[in-house]
This record gives sequence, structure tokens and C-alpha cells, in this order.
Amino acid sequence: MNFDQFLLLGAILVPALGALSLLCGMGRSDDFAKKLSCFAFGFPCLAGIALFLRFDDSIHGYNFTVLYSRMGLQELKINFHLGLNGVSSPLFAMAGLVGFGAGLAAIGSGVERIRLYLALLLFMQSGLMGLFASVDLFFYYLFHEFALIPTFVMIGIWGGRDRRSIALEITVYLTLGALVSLGGLIALNVMVDAKSFDFPSLSQAISEMGMGESTQFKIFGMLLFGFGVLVALFPFHTWAPRGYEAAPTSVSMLHAGVLKKFGLYGLVQIAAPLLPEAALAWSPYLLWLALGNVLFVGFVTLAQTNLKSMVGNGSVMHMGYCFLGVGVCSSLGAGAAVMLMAAHGLSVSLMFLLSQYVYRRSGTLEMTQMGGLASQTPVLACFFIAASLATIGLPGFGNFWGEFGIFLSLGENSDHQLILGLAALGIIISAIFGLRAVARIFYGKQSDELSEYAKDSPIVDLSVTEMIPAGVLVSALLFLGLWPKGISERVNHEIHLRYDSSSSLSGRTSQLPPCCLAGKDQEGKGSVSPEDRTTLEPKKD
Amino acid sequence: MEILAFSILLLPLLSSLVTLFFLRKHGNVAALLSVATAGGILVFASYLIFSNGGEDFAWDANWLTLSNWELRFGFLIDGPARLLLFVVAFVGLLIHIFSLGYMDDDTAKSRYFGGLSIFMFSMLGITLADNLIMIFVFWELVGFSSYLLISHYFTTEEAANASKKAFIVNRIGDFGFLIGIVLTYWIFGTVNLKELSDLASFDPSLTSTALCLALACGFIGKSAQFPLHVWLPDAMAGPTPVSALIHAATMVAAGIYLLVRIDFLFTDQALSLLGLAGSGMGLYAGFCAFVQRDIKKILAYSTLSQLGYMTAAFGLGMPGIAMFHLMTHAFFKALMFLGSGSVIHACHHEQDIFNYGGLRKKMPITALTFLIGVLAISGVNFLSGYFSKDAILLGAYNSNMPVFVLLYAGAILTALYMFRLYFITFEGEARSKYAKQAHESASLMTAPLIILALLSVIGGYHGLYPFSLIGSSLSDLELVAKMPNHLWMIVLGTFAWVSGCIAAKLLYSKVDQSDPLETKAPAFYRLCSSKLYFDEVYALYVKRVQDPWARFLEVLELLFVSGLMVRGSAGLAALFALLAKTFYVGRIHAYAFWFILGTLGFLAYASGLFGN
Repeated sequence: MNFDQFLLLGAILVPALGALSLLCGMGRSDDFAKKLSCFAFGFPCLAGIALFLRFDDSIHGYNFTVLYSRMGLQELKINFHLGLNGVSSPLFAMAGLVGFGAGLAAIGSGVERIRLYLALLLFMQSGLMGLFASVDLFFYYLFHEFALIPTFVMIGIWGGRDRRSIALEITVYLTLGALVSLGGLIALNVMVDAKSFDFPSLSQAISEMGMGESTQFKIFGMLLFGFGVLVALFPFHTWAPRGYEAAPTSVSMLHAGVLKKFGLYGLVQIAAPLLPEAALAWSPYLLWLALGNVLFVGFVTLAQTNLKSMVGNGSVMHMGYCFLGVGVCSSLGAGAAVMLMAAHGLSVSLMFLLSQYVYRRSGTLEMTQMGGLASQTPVLACFFIAASLATIGLPGFGNFWGEFGIFLSLGENSDHQLILGLAALGIIISAIFGLRAVARIFYGKQSDELSEYAKDSPIVDLSVTEMIPAGVLVSALLFLGLWPKGISERVNHEIHLRYDSSSSLSGRTSQLPPCCLAGKDQEGKGSVSPEDRTTLEPKKD
Repeated sequence: MEILAFSILLLPLLSSLVTLFFLRKHGNVAALLSVATAGGILVFASYLIFSNGGEDFAWDANWLTLSNWELRFGFLIDGPARLLLFVVAFVGLLIHIFSLGYMDDDTAKSRYFGGLSIFMFSMLGITLADNLIMIFVFWELVGFSSYLLISHYFTTEEAANASKKAFIVNRIGDFGFLIGIVLTYWIFGTVNLKELSDLASFDPSLTSTALCLALACGFIGKSAQFPLHVWLPDAMAGPTPVSALIHAATMVAAGIYLLVRIDFLFTDQALSLLGLAGSGMGLYAGFCAFVQRDIKKILAYSTLSQLGYMTAAFGLGMPGIAMFHLMTHAFFKALMFLGSGSVIHACHHEQDIFNYGGLRKKMPITALTFLIGVLAISGVNFLSGYFSKDAILLGAYNSNMPVFVLLYAGAILTALYMFRLYFITFEGEARSKYAKQAHESASLMTAPLIILALLSVIGGYHGLYPFSLIGSSLSDLELVAKMPNHLWMIVLGTFAWVSGCIAAKLLYSKVDQSDPLETKAPAFYRLCSSKLYFDEVYALYVKRVQDPWARFLEVLELLFVSGLMVRGSAGLAALFALLAKTFYVGRIHAYAFWFILGTLGFLAYASGLFGN
């Protein structure tokens, strides 16, 4: 085992082992538990970043693979197969970062029974890291469940108002979504006679043997709806804002930021490239449902006065953009969706974290009962403004590139121009609710309720321990925003392999206007068809 | 060269980061750092402008590649870019210096100066950018810095709302701009300005009115043109030097700059539309300015009106003149805004001109420089505004009569409201306690005024500028110089400002604390103060349409999606559960009965009774 594989396995095992040792009661003091979990959250974060940086673009497909095939499940073609590719590597790093942020938030939260809380959160983190690191689709699903189950428990125990009924609703909803998508995955396994249950072999088998169009259509439909429910695709989205509002902050951060990307990741990484014809056939439905996310949920977000429910609704709204990127069925759209997923994970978890900070100071989440906080808490205001602007897609933060790329991909096909126009309305809607929130919470005069509350507990600015997780997330967002090449290089490489090799799709993406390139010194920037691009790629530095 | 461009761009960014991380509690150090940065920018900018001997310079590098989209980060330094670079760097430095004096007693200096640096960064980014996407990036960033600086006094409702409004209204413009960029990319296959211009000249059929109007939406938002002009007067809630820098001299002018940079994409139809819209704005804003009482709002409407002139110049096919007027306007408008800042500072943040009066004797430098600004903007012969504005008027006179009529009426109005402002503020008797106690501002504030006043006087002689700066405007200036009817234009122009001045003198030489127009022509006064109800209509839309619609959808979601669908299916499941529960009655013979029934059923099935 080399160093990279050690990091990859460690990112999954360290949190799990940490959780086990906490449950077994290693060390009696909460203090030790905090230190231990700090390490257990820190390791995947560092490992994620390190592996992101050490990723080698010249290797086709997966880097750092770990393969163990004597699981006793060979009959089912299941192997323990880990590795990272260009799509999963940024998300893996993002999961590590968000997990670190959520972990620190949990450590500083001072909830009751903190050891159990941390242990469950660590299990969740372990599952999240495993999810993105899995090559084998069985383990991909397994790790997802591994991360999902602690969510229910934690909402049920540490949740806010109505936690029982919400925990139940979420459980039913998400289990249903997971079951449908599991059905789709099993159908893939059964219908395709591949060597093993992972993307490369499945794709090879499909291209060799072909697959009936109606079968493709059905399987993709199952995957789409299963994953769709898990990602809160309109109209299966109502669990999300309610759930996030009730869940403890760290859980909201991890779930909205990372776990929810499971479904989209599945669509981008597996379903769409594996079943391109079916993806095309489903594309119109998916696009219009995604518009429902952007516009319908967008307007619903405008009506929210509760901070957390606004953040939750807003996150569902922005998921709509990711779906649009997937729905366009082009490598540009899919790549942009991945970039947005990474940035969105960071920004939405940051928003949940900051909402909790606001709550700690104001004692309420009703934005109409706040106001003028910026004078007492300038640093918090600064973070909050940065996070809101990142969420609404201000350039300089990562979200912008994803959103812009998705808009660009929508413009590629003239059939999608109406959708482009409607989807772009989202930039106005999100600006309205984002800035409204800032103005309501931080600007203007302090409300009477807040002054009343502040008498008992004076409002203080962020402490250093509170600043660290927020700072980590903001810096990552800025990195993505200022140096988009850092992530786009990884994503681009893999997206080409997955999308442009299948003939039906590359035909669409190269559908460029016959524009004359006379008088250009360089060979047509931007208007190169994907086939040409791949041949051009090695020449660039 | 690219190193130079990079240092111009990164210097202010670095300064604001240092301020953010280390100088939050050291306002004075932050202020000095920011001013030093502005000085550094001016030095680097001058190098950049003059070092290449007036030759264009372009450089780019890969910024992002995703599938068939390649985005490059690059600089294109051509004529208009050099001109705007000079304006931003030079006027920017003066305003930074002025701010030192104006903000001396502010408690959040480091936030203010950090914001100024962020603004300089974003504005310079727009200036240097070589492609539309990069322009869009910095376009949004200037919007953000404007947001930040308008909300400087965030504890007031006014500033809180104004900052939000500015950003959102700009976003509406950016919506069109964004779509325009996406369409441009797929029609031309590139967003690089140079390549676009080559392609457009090679195959003019690629351009279309719809496309260039979509792109012009960005301009409409940023330059606050009809119908998105509502944010600019409100933006005056920010500190006065910010209004001078962002909302008069540079950022709002960026819209014009955008048009000039993509002028090859415009069709004749779009141009004539812009010409009319610009001249209409020139007149409309003039009427609004005429009845304002707040000194900054008068100047804000005057900015709107002057931006209308630039738009009209662009629409008439004279982008060079538009850029020239952009520059002279930057001088005299920055001068007047800073002058108003000096007055506001001296009168303890009183902004109503009817509470001033007689300030000329107390603040002679401010008054004199302000007068020069007024003369320049009114187009008094041989001052800077005369050359740039009358060039636009002459161009309109010779090519488009309706535009000329609108612009000319606007010119009379400009002189009228500007002299009104001057007479009420600086002449007569002091009408409030603060105006009585006012005294001249410190030299940190008057020095920039004097420099700007000098430029407002001589800034119209294009022969004074080196070719590197003015080169791109020369051809249009020569075009206008060759036009007929010069003498006639001089007569008309002189008549415009003289009549405006006399009318203002007659109306406003003796005022008390109410506007004499209110009693003399109440209907007209009310019409002008209504500003044609744009703000009211928009507010009504938000309150009566948008918010109820949002709440309606929320209820709809609650009722149908989470109510009917989710609860409904949960209810269905519960119904089954209820049915199933009836089997569990807890009596042993009931279970025995079911057991026997089940066994019989099984036996029947096994013996093939149901038919296999």
C-alpha cells in the first residue's frame, strides 16, 4: 500500500474508528472526546486536500485505486474497490472540508450527550468519504446508507421543533428515494452482463453488447427519480427545508452540503454517461422539473422569514441549477454541475453554520425580529455577507463558475433558450432573498425583541473557535472562485472520458454554429469541437 | 507589460485584504495604505499608458477549461481602455485624498477605505478586461463594492434599503447581460473582444439587434438608464466621496465604456434606439433634478442626465465623443460631488440646499471651484463641458433632429438646475444654524477641488492630451469638427446656458426655506417631484405582486406538495395499517380461526384447487 492509498483508506477509516472508540467509551472525559474527534475530522479533510493536489490528470480513469476482491461477493460481481477520478476528487475534498467544518461546529456546540453526538457525526463523515471514494456501485450505495442513518437518529434526538415527525418524514422520504435508486442500480447490475459492478466495466459491457432503448429508459427513470428524491428535485423537495430547519447544525451542514450531492453525483458520474440515450429522452422532463426548483422554490424562498428555512429553501433552489446542468446532457453542463456541486456544498454548509452563529446571538431565527447586528458583530456580518454573496453567485466565489457554465450549456442548444431565460431569472431571485436576509439581520436598527434578549445575554462577536470552521469554508470558496482552473482541470478531463466518448452525445456538443474563424491568430478558441479538443489538450501546459 | 497590468489589478486587492485581516482596528493606517495604493495605481497606470507608445497591447492566459468552453484571463489595452484607466486612476486618487479629510471623524474608516480599494480593483478589472465573461466578473464585483460602500452607514434604514436596491436593480440588468454573453458565445464561438470585432467585421450578418440589446441591458443597469435608473438617486445614502467616485465619475460610466468596447456588435436599429433613449433620459433626469432639495440628489439626477448625453453620443455613432464626454464629465461631476461633500462636511451632514445659503463668503474655495463645475457642466463657452457636450449637440443637429431637440432642451434645463443649486447654496443669506457656523474645509479636501477645477476648465482642449490617451477619440472629434453649422451651434449653446442662468437668477436669488416654484407653478412642481412614479410603481409591484405571489406559492407548496402528496401518501399507508390492525384483536380463538383458514387456503392451493 502506498501513501496515497493509505490516505484514501484513512479518510474513511479514521472517522469510523474514532466513532467506535468514542462509543466504546475510550477515555471518560468529554475533553478527550473532543480532541479525538478533532483529529478524526481533520484527517479526512487533510487527506481530501492532499489527494486533490496529488491527483494525476495523465492517468486515465481512477487514481489511487484500492481493490480487494475476495469479499465473498464475487457471485454478485461486487468488489471492494476504491479510487478517485476527476469528478469524485473535488467532491471528496469538499466532503472532507465540510466535514471538518461541521465537526468543529459540533465540538463547539456544547450539546448534551456530546460523545454520542460526535460519534454519530463521525460515522456520517466516514460514510460520506467512502461514498465519493467508491468505484464499486454497491459500496457507493452502502456508504450512502451508512451516512444517512445517523442523520435520522440525530434529528430525532437533537433536533429542534417537531423533531419526531420531521425525522419520520425524512426517513420515509429518503428511504423511499434510496430504495428506488437501489432498484435502478440492481437493475443495472442484472441487466448488464459486466465483469464487475463498477462504471468502467458496466460502460464497456454496454458498449459491447448494447442495451434495449426501453430498458435504458426504465432504468434511467428509476435512477432519476430515486436520486431526484434524495437531492430534493421538485416536487419531491419539501422534506429538505423542513428537515434542515429542524436538524442540528452540523447535520444540516453535512446533509445539505455533502450527502445530498449523492444523487447528483450518481447522475453525473454513472447514470447519464452510462445511459446517454435514456438521459436524452428524459432530458426535457428533467429540465422542466429543475426549473420548478429554480423558480417555484425560488419564490417560496422569497416568502421565508425564518433564517434556517430560507437557507434550506435556497439550497434546494440552487440544486435546480445542478439538475439543469445534468439535464442538458452535454459534457459542459455536467462539468459545470460538478463545479457547482463542490462550491454549493461549501457555501450551503457555511450558511447553516453562520445561521447557527446568528441564532446563538439573537436567540431567534425569525429575521424580522433581528436587525442592526453588524454594529456588535462586524466579523460575523463580514462572514455572513461573504456567504450570502457566494450563494447568490457573485464572481470571486466558486458558485459563480458552476452557475455560469450551466447557463452557457443551456445556451448551446437553441431548444433550451426559453429554459435559459427562465433559469437566469434565478440570479435575480436569489439576490433578492440573499440581500434581504443581510439587511434584515445586520443592517438597520436593532429590533425591540433583540434588545430585550441582549439584556440577558450580551451580544459578542465571533470567537476564534467559531471563526476557524467558517474561515476554512470561505477560503475554499474563494480558491474555487479565483482559481477555477484548479478544479476545472480535474473535472474536464474526466467529463471528456465519460461524455464525449459516447457517440450520441458528442454529436450534440459539437453542434456549433458554422462560424468563420478567419483572421484569428489562434485556432478557434472556444469553438473547437470536443474531438479536436482532446487532441489539442496535450499541447497545452 | 502584463506584469504591469497585473500589479495595477492586484495592488488594490492586496491592500483591501491587508486591511481586512490586519487593519480592522487601525483606521488611520488603513486610510493611508489605501491612499498610497491609489497613488501606486496612478504611477503604474501612467507607465502602462505611455510605455507602449500608444500601441494596443493584448495578453491572455487560460483561466478555466470545461469541455468546449475555454475561458481566458486577459488584458486588452487599447484607446478607450487607456482613457478610462487614466480617469479611474487619476480621479480615484484625488477622491481617496479627499476622503482622508471627509472621513476624518468616521468610526469605521478601515471598512470604508478597504471598500474603496475593492472598488478600485473591480473597476480596473473592467477597464483592462479583454473578454465579455471577464468583464461580467468584474461588472458584478463593482456592483458588490458599490453595495458595500452604499451601506456604509448601515444603521440607517435608508442606507440598508438603498444598498439592497442598487444591487438588485443591477442584477436585473445583469440578467440580460448574462444572456447576451451566453448567446454571443454560441453565435460567435468566442467572447474575446478582439476576435469578436474581427468576426463582426468579417461577417456582419452575425450581429443582431436582439443580441446587442441583451448585452446593453448590462449597461442600462450599471449606468442607471431608463427603466433601471431608480437605484442611483437612492445610492446617495452612501458617503459623499463614494458618490463622487462610484456613482458619478467611474462606475456608472463603465456602462458607456462597455458599449464603446462592443460597438461593432450594434446594428443601426439598436443605435437609434439608444440615441433616443439616451436623449430622453437627458431631459427626464433634468426635470427630476430641477425640483430636488437634497444637494446630492440634484447631482445624482444630473449624472443620470449626463449619462444620457453619453448614450446619445454613442447612439449617434460617435463612441469617441461619448468617451470624451465621459472624461470631462468625470472631472466636473467629481468636482461638484466633492464640493457638495465639502459643504455637507462643513454643515454637519445637512443636505437640504434650502438650509444652506450664503456659503460663498464662508467657504470661498469650495464656492469658487463649485461655480467652475457648474459653468463647465452648463457648457459655458471654452470650458471643458462646452467642448464635449456641444460636440454631441452638433452631431445630433446634423444627423438626428429629434435627438437634438431633446438634448438641447436638456441643456437649457441643465444650466437652470445647476445655477439654481449654486444660487441657493452659495448666495443669499444663511438659512440655518449650521450654515451660519460653516467654515472652509481643510486643505486635504480643497486641494483635490482645485485640481479638478483646473481640469474642468482646460479639460476640453484635446490638444493638451498625449496621443496615447485621446487617440481613440480623435477620429470622432475630427468628424465633428468638419461638420457644418458650427457658428449656429455656438449661438444656440450660448443661448442655452445664458437663458438657464438668468432664469435661475430670477427665480432663486431670494429664497426662504421653501422652493418658490412650489407656489408659482404647483402642478409642474408636483409633476417633476413625482419623477413619473417609477419608484412607486416598482414598490407596488414588489408589495402587491411579487411578495403575495411568493406567499401564494408557499401556501400552494404546503397544501399540495407537502400536504396532499406527502401527507396523503402517508395517510394511505396509515389506512392500510388500520386495516391490517383489525386482524390483531388479541383473542386466542380469533387467531386460531385465522390460522385454520390460512392452513386450509394453503392446502387448497397445494392441491391445485385454484387451478395451476
